[in-house]
Amino acid sequence: MTYHIIEADVVILGGGSAGTIAAIKAKTKDPNARVVVLDKGPIETSGAIGRGMDALNIVAVPGYATPENVVEALTKVTEGILDQECAYVLGEKSLQVIKDLEDYTGREPGDLFPIDENGNYKANYLHPVDYPMYLAMDGEDIKRALAKRVRSLEVQVLDFTPAVRMFTTDGRISGILAFNMRSGEFYYIKTPTVIITAGAVGKFGLPRDGYLSGTYEFPGNTGEGFALAYHAGAHLINLECFQTNLLMKDFNGPACGYVVIPRGGYGVNALGERFWSHGYWSGDMFLAVWRELLEGRGPVYLKMDHLPEETITGLEKILWGTERTARGLFHEQRGEDYRRWDSVEQGMEEITLCSGHSMSGIQVNKNAETNVPGLYAAGDCAAVPHQYLTGAFVFGSIAGERAVEYSKNNKAGDLPVDLEQIIEEIKLPLEQEGGLSPEEVEYKIRSKITQYLTPPKSDPSMTKLLWWVKRIREEDLPRIKVTSYHDLIKVTEIRSIIDCAEMAAKASLYRTESRWGLGHYRLAYPKRDPDWSDKWVVIHKNSETGEMDTMKETVPEHKWNFVKELEYEYPTINLDIGKGYVHPPNSDRDPWIEEKVQREGFVVPTRLVPNGSCDK
Amino acid sequence: MSIHNSKAYQWLDINKNTCISCGLCVDYCPRDVLHKDEDGIPFMKHRDDCWYCDVCAFICPKKAIKLKEVPYPIK
Repeated sequence: MTYHIIEADVVILGGGSAGTIAAIKAKTKDPNARVVVLDKGPIETSGAIGRGMDALNIVAVPGYATPENVVEALTKVTEGILDQECAYVLGEKSLQVIKDLEDYTGREPGDLFPIDENGNYKANYLHPVDYPMYLAMDGEDIKRALAKRVRSLEVQVLDFTPAVRMFTTDGRISGILAFNMRSGEFYYIKTPTVIITAGAVGKFGLPRDGYLSGTYEFPGNTGEGFALAYHAGAHLINLECFQTNLLMKDFNGPACGYVVIPRGGYGVNALGERFWSHGYWSGDMFLAVWRELLEGRGPVYLKMDHLPEETITGLEKILWGTERTARGLFHEQRGEDYRRWDSVEQGMEEITLCSGHSMSGIQVNKNAETNVPGLYAAGDCAAVPHQYLTGAFVFGSIAGERAVEYSKNNKAGDLPVDLEQIIEEIKLPLEQEGGLSPEEVEYKIRSKITQYLTPPKSDPSMTKLLWWVKRIREEDLPRIKVTSYHDLIKVTEIRSIIDCAEMAAKASLYRTESRWGLGHYRLAYPKRDPDWSDKWVVIHKNSETGEMDTMKETVPEHKWNFVKELEYEYPTINLDIGKGYVHPPNSDRDPWIEEKVQREGFVVPTRLVPNGSCDK
Repeated sequence: MSIHNSKAYQWLDINKNTCISCGLCVDYCPRDVLHKDEDGIPFMKHRDDCWYCDVCAFICPKKAIKLKEVPYPIK
């Protein structure tokens, strides 16, 4: 036997925010349950909030907002493409998240989260609605606190051991295959339930500076959650809505806008003018940025110089002290200062698929269930739109409790495949004589994604990307050569990125309209179409053909009749550049070249030494 | 491409005099970038997987490690 065997009740793929809380809740609900967490890194620091986080971007706290207000905000920013039940649950359980985090960190109200004079958690305005739903957080240590609780509950944690295959038996979850990136040991985990909490497709488009790991999202998140779910038969939705957040340019650092805007900052163009009505990361705002750049008023900046010195100092403390702390160093080395209006240049993020800040992911209901029995999903890979970190905790909690319940009445079926053979296939890149490096192939597919998928979307370009997907999958993937298990996981990562590229292109070509501002601005259909106003595009693997199928599905009927549109219009583009010069026609037959081909054939003659003048 | 020797350019500054080779930075790097060299001193074995998240500096009990600069392509 070349692998370890573990029997489990619940396996969690990814020990980030959603994954750690899912483990805690599963173990708390049933201390005897065998819960396993797999992660590419150590759960103390892995995932999107490894170095800390500075806010819960959406909460419904007493005195400020209600769960219905959360539904209203999300109905608007998703332009109606929303399961309102999920949004309601997000708001309803957000207060519990706050209490849980205070419990895990051992910190009091007013310390981890701010409180007002009435003792309520003090929320601020951020979303394009009239309710304060942004809650600041001094969350430098929450990931360590979550990990500590997970380990104290005797969850089996396999650090540096990502999943590479997920198995079903008779359509139900039955097992996971993983390997340790340092030791190369393989693990087969027999389980009736899997909770996928593997994050966004952080490595998708290529950052403009070309640095593969210079992504906005955590670069360990490469779409395995999306791809494993897809191959298991799960449905995925909203893959045509691309995330392209407005970030600190080049640094690609998050949180800048969301930390600054609730404290009085705002975005301006190169003329110093405020260019849009709000700073929330919805597609209308990104469309406005695109317009500024297209009409020659870029770069755009985040303006802070009008704020009181105390506020600027406070922003520096938060922005340089949590989440991506290298920010301060980045500014220092460029001589940038928040006290100058044009110091923080902003840029559009490389395109990404994510639900936390956008909408894409595995389709789940309010119980975090997918359509595959035994498979749950939560966090940035589960399509609860604009759920942010709050949603990772809310639906991670639900998934943990639900999965452990499910496992009591369902046992994992026997494995329908030859594991030894699969392991051999996975290890092939280690044994090849020579070949392409994983970085070369990753660079190639990600640069093609950026070139052909970045909105505004072009139909011929997206079709061309599908050609590249097929070519790289068939010709380049099998040629990757690696020399370590650290690099072997990259083959799985690249496979996932390719799968996600195909899903994103096909979903985009299927939705015959534009929606979500720049997120799905399709030049062939440059307006919203009312026929699509309550429809999802669902991507799934056809179980009979093995091919990727696309279908239209009606969004669950809305309980609340809130506004379903953001206040923007798609532009009417007139790029008339005149008719150009037309020279007299040439003949379409050229005797000179015809004769040459006839005389010389296709062999290129050697003429480097004219007349033999270099003879010795 | 990953680099596999400790002498190539790295954007982490590691003070060999104060480093106690405890390995915390190696164990807690979320991208498995750091490994120990033959003297027990950490180096960026998989440099180009670095997200410059600063966890290594944060976790070091002796403050022996710090980001010298952000990665060259984005500096």
